[in-house]
Amino acid sequence: MTVSTSPSGAPPAARRTLVSRAIESATHRSIPVLVVLAIIWAIFYSQSSAYLSFQNLTNLTLQIVTTAILALGVVFVLLVGEIDLSSAVLSGVCAAVAAGLVVNSGLPLTVGIAAAVLAGMAVTFIEAQVIMFGVPSLIVTLGGMVILQGLILVVLPPEFTISVAATPFAKIASTTIPAGMSYALAAAGTVAFAAYRLFQRREQVSTGSSASVAAVVVPSLVIAAALFGGVFTLTRQRGLPMPLLILAVMLLIAWYATTQTRYGIHLYAVGGDREAAQRAGIPVRRMVLYSFLVLGACAAVAGMVDASRQLGVSVTSGSGPLMLNAIAAAVVGGTSLFGGRGSIWSALLGALVIGSISNGVQLLGLSTEVQYFATGSVLIVAVAADVALARGSLLPGRR
Amino acid sequence: MAVDSEPQFSDPSHDGSSQGIPLLELTKVSKYFGGVRALHEVDISVREGEVVALVGDNGAGKSTLVKIVSGVESPSAGEVRVGGETVRLDSPRDAAEAGIHTVFQDLSLCDNLDAVQNLFLGRERHGRLWSGRRVRRHLMEEEALRVLTSLSVKLRSLTTPVAALSGGQRQGIAICRALISDPAVVLLDEPTAALGVSQRGEVLDLIHRLREQGRGVVVISHDMKDVRQVADRVVVLRLGSRVAEFRRGAYTPSDLVSAMTGAAEPTND
Repeated sequence: MTVSTSPSGAPPAARRTLVSRAIESATHRSIPVLVVLAIIWAIFYSQSSAYLSFQNLTNLTLQIVTTAILALGVVFVLLVGEIDLSSAVLSGVCAAVAAGLVVNSGLPLTVGIAAAVLAGMAVTFIEAQVIMFGVPSLIVTLGGMVILQGLILVVLPPEFTISVAATPFAKIASTTIPAGMSYALAAAGTVAFAAYRLFQRREQVSTGSSASVAAVVVPSLVIAAALFGGVFTLTRQRGLPMPLLILAVMLLIAWYATTQTRYGIHLYAVGGDREAAQRAGIPVRRMVLYSFLVLGACAAVAGMVDASRQLGVSVTSGSGPLMLNAIAAAVVGGTSLFGGRGSIWSALLGALVIGSISNGVQLLGLSTEVQYFATGSVLIVAVAADVALARGSLLPGRR
Repeated sequence: MAVDSEPQFSDPSHDGSSQGIPLLELTKVSKYFGGVRALHEVDISVREGEVVALVGDNGAGKSTLVKIVSGVESPSAGEVRVGGETVRLDSPRDAAEAGIHTVFQDLSLCDNLDAVQNLFLGRERHGRLWSGRRVRRHLMEEEALRVLTSLSVKLRSLTTPVAALSGGQRQGIAICRALISDPAVVLLDEPTAALGVSQRGEVLDLIHRLREQGRGVVVISHDMKDVRQVADRVVVLRLGSRVAEFRRGAYTPSDLVSAMTGAAEPTND
């Protein structure tokens, strides 16, 4: 969501509409990360004009898909005030399950996908049960990570690797949606968004609230620009890559669930103040469980997309920097580690920031340590900027 | 004595409150935490249009009683009846469904949510299951505005997280919550603690209004002035037991204090 409205153009508080408010609240926490992203892009673009080429932007988006999907699940867990360290390895286990069933046992792709998602949710279900028993999530998922590193050895065949090249499994990542179809999707998305905004406005008008037509038209135009611009950029090579569509659909569902539904309010309430949520009759433990189940499903999808892109599953699937990148993405994007604050867009924006750095470093042929230095610094700077913005001052806080 | 000259809400129709229907009745309710006796065979009843004040020193069992009635804790023994029927209050939701609303001392607001979300927390107006229980925000905003205006709680914006609001505004939201669900019994835990003079007057006003609406009101308070102003009956707890009960106008502040501290053990009635 790269939308931004100028505060000076906002109507007075009393007449403030649902729409402008939704955009404002979503962008408020996104401002620091958008600035950081712009700075990173400007720096790398000044070093190499190839950085912002259509080709490289398409590569960049493909590189961040796995991190972004996993970060999406992590955001749900962070929002209820828990943390997870095991989901990256879990994504490897789920990919091994799916690849084993599809490639080695010859089952249909849908069966493999369903089995992987169920396996992911089963593991996070068990983790959530132990967390509800009272063990801190940091410890449960740290232990879970080590156990899962063992489990992936059990799930993989004796040669510890499954190649998915030239199998139905590889099609997940290699499928592209033709440009025409992609534009049709963008048009459909714009129409659906405008229709939803119009529906909301009619609801408000029906009960006597004032709501301006501009509140429907302006965001719709912005969304249209973003969608068509994105499709235009990403279809220059071969068409819209399937993993991006998967990510977009997941973000859309997550946006609806977290901002438009009762579940969403309860999710934020549990992260904001568990005691208050409990007293209001919200099933706190069940909300924590739901978050972990969402994470399990996200981990499974991330694992399968990654395996399909890498054309194989091995013991190293899901290891390496994936876990820390996913957590860093969520936090850089503006989700609080202490729960209750942040939005699902932080998964996408944070993954873009982290992906932009590693992509730029590789493009310029810089050494790996530069990437580590830059990523670590950005993590700290982005959170510091968020803290300063929340406080409204650069001076140190009283706490 | 300055305390005696405090204006009281005179309401003769409530003097014979014993004729009303008991909305909430606790019979021989006990609560033990391990070997610690927090409450021992406490009887309390609240009738329609009656304000019952619950007073007691620290450790008298007031908080435990609040937790039991609000469904946060279950009693170890005893019976809770709402409208004459025995109920099990195993969760805050059970208590809400039975028609008991509690305003906690810490207000129990979620700081990261806005006023409307807090007012309706756990009772959101939402659409059908197929829509994923979509929140009908516009309905909630209108009802919130109506309730907030009726108690003259003024907010700059309905969409600011309540963390950014003043103490009085937060208290206002917490109390307005009591009116959203239209409960039969409202339990207020230290409603005037940490409030300014005018805000305290507003809260006492609200308690009066709740009584006029025919609700049963239980007020837990340390403040003798508040108790004398609003309560039709005063129940005194000490060390987990009910040690005294006074009717409006039939006691002096020193009666309350001696009952609370056990300085002069009064006869149990």
